Amino acid sequence: MKSRAVSPALKSATAVRPLRSSATGPGFASACPPDKKINVTDITDFRRGRGDLIFSLFMAGLALFFLLFFFTQTGWEDRKLPHNMARYWMDQFGVTAPEGRTARLGRILKQGWVAPLICLCVLVPAALWNLRGAWRAHAWRKRFKQSTAVTYELGQWLRALEYVAWFVAYTLLVPVLGYLVSTVLLGTLLPWRLGYRGVRWMGICLAVSFTIVLVFRTGLQIKTPVNIWLYDQLPQGMETFMQVWF
Amino acid sequence: MEAFWAGLDNLASWPVLVAILIGSVGGLAIGAVPGIGPAIAIAILLPATVFLDDLVSLVLLLGVYGSSMYGGAIPAILINTPGTPVNALTTYDGYAMTRRGEAARGLSLAYSASFFGGCFSILLGLGALMLFGPYLRDLGALFGQRDIFMAAALGAVLLIAAHRKTMGIAALLFGLGFLIALVGRQSLKQIDRYTFGIEYLYPGFNLIVVIVGIFAISQALFLLAGKDADPPEARLKGGLLHGFGELKKHPAVATISAGYGTIMGIIPGVGEFVAQFFSYSTARAMSKEPGRFGRGAPDGLIASEASNNAVPAAAMVPLLALGVPGEALTAMMMVVFFDAGIKPGPDIFENNPDFLFSLFIALLIINVLVILTLLFSTKWIAKIIYVPNRLLGAFILILAFVGVFSIRNSFADCMFAAGFGYLGFILRRLDWPLVPIVLGLVLGSIMIEKLTAGAGQIKTVFDLVNRPVSGTLFVVILIVIAVTITQSLRTRRFEH
Repeated sequence: MKSRAVSPALKSATAVRPLRSSATGPGFASACPPDKKINVTDITDFRRGRGDLIFSLFMAGLALFFLLFFFTQTGWEDRKLPHNMARYWMDQFGVTAPEGRTARLGRILKQGWVAPLICLCVLVPAALWNLRGAWRAHAWRKRFKQSTAVTYELGQWLRALEYVAWFVAYTLLVPVLGYLVSTVLLGTLLPWRLGYRGVRWMGICLAVSFTIVLVFRTGLQIKTPVNIWLYDQLPQGMETFMQVWF
Repeated sequence: MEAFWAGLDNLASWPVLVAILIGSVGGLAIGAVPGIGPAIAIAILLPATVFLDDLVSLVLLLGVYGSSMYGGAIPAILINTPGTPVNALTTYDGYAMTRRGEAARGLSLAYSASFFGGCFSILLGLGALMLFGPYLRDLGALFGQRDIFMAAALGAVLLIAAHRKTMGIAALLFGLGFLIALVGRQSLKQIDRYTFGIEYLYPGFNLIVVIVGIFAISQALFLLAGKDADPPEARLKGGLLHGFGELKKHPAVATISAGYGTIMGIIPGVGEFVAQFFSYSTARAMSKEPGRFGRGAPDGLIASEASNNAVPAAAMVPLLALGVPGEALTAMMMVVFFDAGIKPGPDIFENNPDFLFSLFIALLIINVLVILTLLFSTKWIAKIIYVPNRLLGAFILILAFVGVFSIRNSFADCMFAAGFGYLGFILRRLDWPLVPIVLGLVLGSIMIEKLTAGAGQIKTVFDLVNRPVSGTLFVVILIVIAVTITQSLRTRRFEH
């Protein structure tokens, strides 16, 4: 019988000499090879971080919210279903022979509430299953005395709200000052706020903002708000020019 | 062959050629910046494509899609940070080469493997179109509404199954995306779904608003709320041409990896990560020195890059043949198809065969352009790595506004995009996947549309699966579910 060849990886693993270090002294020897072999699954590795439980709770609440409103927000009130549903499904799967005329399944599937029901059949169990996973991860952290504080994570979430506010402010500013001025303002003020404050940075930001306007508004003629307050204050010719190109 | 020449003829116009050039070079630059992937670039460019010719729009987006992974290899190899998420495996062997002072060798190998992988799947696609084109025209008759419904359902199941360690989260987010697609007034019966009497919600959420919010605004917030990276300075010495010669020494690894990329690209919902996983594992199993993997093994780098670059062309197959996008980027491209009035699906082989050839030829041109650009300008492109992250975040925010506002001139859209962006930000913070939301939105819409359209032929539940294609797909769905459950149970037992 042909002997099975030992793979090079196995050879190298078995050939590792016991580890001895000066710190542990000569009495300690480990036959465990240093784990230097890389793991391909690392690219799909996932660990639940702090804040995961809170967000999972939120998502489960959201799923249940949609489930709660399924009966009033999906056309469920106007449903047309056979009287005896249990018998209908038995007929459908051939358990019982249909008596008389039965409704086509297609007529039920066409009704407006079917799609939300299919969706909720995925969403709600998945949300609850995920909540279970998040809870177990939280319990594991507690059990092994790892920190479960979420202050830092929540702080990061709140921190991002500042930039949402910048975006909303920009959106509200465009009809007042026009696309060009608003973009240049956001393109320079936001980097300033972020700490890019030198003349060089401001020059770069100004140039990039202006280029964005030139490419998207002047070049591609992408729609931006009309009836801009600032442009209305300009002389007629200039107002038209600004509205067409900027 | 007529369709081939017609397809080539479609590309022979200045706007198309300029779009190919901008898409390819722009995609390279976008890929090279860690933090901006092709998804963000396409999300921002999507509204602009409404104003462009359909083929110009598509080749522009294809250029970004096809070239970004080449660009993503640059920071992966030079500074150990993948430019796009799919370049993560490239860091294992690529950066190890840089640490040994072989950065140019690593880049050269990555480029040649990427070029090989890209061309492999494109030429396979073109060959299949030429050989089977006349037969594919009859595909429309084979695929009815129920078959496409089942194909979309398979895509959904595969998408969830492919998220090996986050299946629950993927299912949850897929369901959320599906639900977002359902919000609005059903046009036929005037039934309001989850509108809560809010007038804005009657037409439903615009796909682009959700995409820009989830991908672009969320990434902008993520960058803005984070810290500027301080990447180490990378020195690049030596030519970049010898990678082709080294690639010749590993023909089996390159071909198998490109093959994995092609197959995984065709299967909806699977994509680059699974392709890389299989190709890297196979390359390691085939190698005489598996211990070198992760320490600068050339075959490891080839496996990673050849497989991920084979995906874009292959990913177009389910989109074009069935109208079912397999991943986020092709889902975004579907918007362009809708705007152009071209209905991707089995009928495209009958109605627009030249269009198919145009897309594949454009992809080939993109690959050639990209490799030429890289060979001569890597040193300049590599400087893009050092653009500060938070500054990028600020400008992504500005670009996102144009993207959202230009769709319907609606401020409400901007607010909702900000809301979706914030949701996406939290998902990014928690390392939850974003793609299931977008695919839930797109595949969910397709499933419901096809189910409703095919309802006339459904008398009993068996009518859903009594056609050859739908029946086969249903069996595949059952197999995938069974295998996934078995694997999960086995993994859990192993972990216990």
